[in-house]
Amino acid sequence: MTAAGATALVALVTALVLVAWLVRPRGTSTVDFYLAGQRVGVATNALAICGDYFSAASFLGVAAAVYVSGLDGVWYAVGFAAGFVPVLLFVAAPLRRFGEFSIPDFLGRRLGSERVRLVSVGVVQVVILSYLIPQAVGSGITWQLLVGRGLPGLDPYGTGVLLSTMFVAALVAFGGMRGTTWTQAVQFLVLLGALVWLALAAIGSGFRYPEAVSDLSATPLANPVPGPTGWELHAETDQLDPGTAATFGEPGAAYGPLAQFALILTLVMGTAGLPHVMNRYFTSPTGTAARMTTVWVLGLAGLFYALAVMLGTAARRRIADAADEHAWLAALTTDGVLRVPEHALPVLGRLYGGDIGLAVIAAGALVAVMSTIAGLLLAAAASWGHDVYERHINPRATQRQAVWAGRASTAVVALAAAGMAMVLQPDSLAPSVPSIVAAMVTWAFAIAGSALTPVFVLAIWWRGTTAAGAVAGMLTGGVTSISMFVLGMLPVGPGIGETLVTPTLVAAPLAAVVCVLVSRATRPPDDVDRQWLIMHGTAADRQAERLAHLTISSLGRGRRDRQKGD
Amino acid sequence: MDDAGIRLDVDEHDTPAEVDAAFRTLRRVAVWHFVLFLAAVLGVPALSLTLGWWSGARIDGGMSPGFAMAAFGLYVFFLAVGLAAATLSSAVEARMLGGAHDDTTEAGTEDTP
Repeated sequence: MTAAGATALVALVTALVLVAWLVRPRGTSTVDFYLAGQRVGVATNALAICGDYFSAASFLGVAAAVYVSGLDGVWYAVGFAAGFVPVLLFVAAPLRRFGEFSIPDFLGRRLGSERVRLVSVGVVQVVILSYLIPQAVGSGITWQLLVGRGLPGLDPYGTGVLLSTMFVAALVAFGGMRGTTWTQAVQFLVLLGALVWLALAAIGSGFRYPEAVSDLSATPLANPVPGPTGWELHAETDQLDPGTAATFGEPGAAYGPLAQFALILTLVMGTAGLPHVMNRYFTSPTGTAARMTTVWVLGLAGLFYALAVMLGTAARRRIADAADEHAWLAALTTDGVLRVPEHALPVLGRLYGGDIGLAVIAAGALVAVMSTIAGLLLAAAASWGHDVYERHINPRATQRQAVWAGRASTAVVALAAAGMAMVLQPDSLAPSVPSIVAAMVTWAFAIAGSALTPVFVLAIWWRGTTAAGAVAGMLTGGVTSISMFVLGMLPVGPGIGETLVTPTLVAAPLAAVVCVLVSRATRPPDDVDRQWLIMHGTAADRQAERLAHLTISSLGRGRRDRQKGD
Repeated sequence: MDDAGIRLDVDEHDTPAEVDAAFRTLRRVAVWHFVLFLAAVLGVPALSLTLGWWSGARIDGGMSPGFAMAAFGLYVFFLAVGLAAATLSSAVEARMLGGAHDDTTEAGTEDTP
C-alpha cells in the first residue's frame, strides 16, 4: 500500500468513526435507533438517501458499464436516476404519513395481517442480500487496488470484503439510524467530491466529451475476454443488427431491442421497492418533507450520474492512449482496454492524480460501498428486530432488548453477505455482463420491482387491496422474477437471456394483476377509511409543522429574554 | 406567520370527504406525470432504435442527440417532472385539506395576547 492510500484509508475510517460518535443515539428507543427520532430535515435526508442509494454499482458500476458497452451502459445511469420519479409520485408522502418502521411493518399494518408482514420480511431479506453481495464484491475489488495485501490466510479481495462489512456493521450497531444518517450524508459528499475532482482533472487535461464520444464511435467496440492463450480483444457484436460490429455511441453493444426497455423498466420500478431507501422516508418529519426530499434527490442523482457517464467515456478514451506510456497498466489491460471494467475510475484517478488520485477514487469507492452496506444492514435490522423479534419472538421485549436484537441481526446479515461475496470471484464473472457489480444490483432491483413495488403502490392507492391479494402478488412477482433469472442464466439464445435477467417487464404487471384479482375475491380490512385519513390526509403534517413553529418561536423568545436579562 | 399566533391545542383533522377528494386529485396528478415520465424514459431508447439520425447525427462537436439525451437531458427532465409534481401535489393538499378548520386557527390567532 502506498503512503497516499494508507493516509486516505486512515482519514476515511477516522472521519466516519468521529461522525458516528458525535451523533450517536442518546437513548435506547426503537424510534431513535431505527428512525432517528423522525426529525431528519429535507437536505440532510436527501444527502443520506444519496449516500444510501449510490452504491458500488453507481460509483464503480455505471462508469464500468459505460466503459465496456458505451450507450447501452448509459441505460444503467438513466434507470438508476429515473427510479426516484415513481417514488416521488406514488410513494414518498403517503408512506411517511402512514409512518411505520419498515416496508413489512407498513404492509402488515395497512392490510391488517401478520402473514403479509412475514412474507414481506422474506422478500425484503432476499432483496437486501442480493444488494449486499455486490457491495461487498465492490469493497473487495477496491481493497485489491488500494491496499493490495490480505490478512493472514486471506487474499486481498477477501480481506477487503471481510473488513469493510464488519467495520460498517459495527458503525451501524453503534450509531443506529441517527449515526447512519449523518455518516451517509458525509459519505455522499465525499463521493460527489471525488467525482467532481476527477471530472475537473479530466477536463483540465484536455478531455473533450463530445469529441471523445464521436471518436470512440468511429471504430468497432472491442473488449478483452479470456481465451485459450490468455486475454484477447473481442469485437462486440451489435445485438440490434447481428451482422455488424457494435460501436460506443450507438445502442446494441450489450442489449437487444426488448432487453433495453426491460433493463430501464427494471431499474425504474425497483427503486420504490428497495427497503434501505424506503426506510429513510420514515425518518422525515412530515409527508411533504418526504416529497421535497425526493426532489432534492432527483437533482443530486442527475448530477452524479451525468458525471459517472462522462467519466466512463473519459476512461475509455484516456486509458487506451495511456496504456503504452505506463508499465503498471500492462497488468490490468489487453491492447489498451481494461480486463475488469470496474477498474475504470480508480485507474483514471491514478492517471490524473498519481497515487493520491488513486487513493481519492478508491476511498470514494469504499465510501460508496460502506454507506450502502450501512443502509442495507439497518433495513435488515429493522425487519428482523422490529417485524420478527418484537412482533413474533418476544412481543414483551423491552426497548433495550429490541434495539439489541436489531444490533445482533446487523452482525448476522453482514457475515452472511461477506461469506457469499468471498465465494464469488469477480474476475471469473466479468466477461459475461457489462459490469458484474451493476448487474448484480440489477437483480436486487428486479426482485424489489417485481415483488414489492406493485403491491406497495396498490396498497397506497387502491382501497380494495387485501392481505390475500398482497401475499399472492408478492409471491407471484418474487417467484416469476427469480425463475426468469435462472432461465436467463442458461444458454437460451442471444437477446432472450438479457431480457430474462431483467424480468420486471413481465413479473411486475403479472404481480399487479394477481394482486388485483385475488383482492377482488377477498375482503379488504375493515378500517380502510381510517387508514386513508392517515395516509392521504395532512392533519398530522400540519400538527408537526405547528409544533416545529412553536418550538422555533419559543427558542427565539428564550434567546431574546436572555439577551434582555444580560 | 406571526409566531405568537401559533397554538398547539388546535384539533387538526381532515374529514373523510375532504381526504377522498384530495386523494382523487393527487392520484390524477401522479398518473399524468407518470405517463409523461414514462413517455420520455422509454421514448429516448425507442428513438435510438427507430430513427437513424437520432444516433447517427452529430451535435456540438460530435455527440449524437440520443447520447446527449441519455447523458444529460433526461436527468434535467426527471428533475423538472419531479419538481412540477411535488409543487402541484403540495398545492392541492394545501388547498383541499385543512381548510374547514381555518376558523379555528383564526380564532386562536385573535385570542392570543
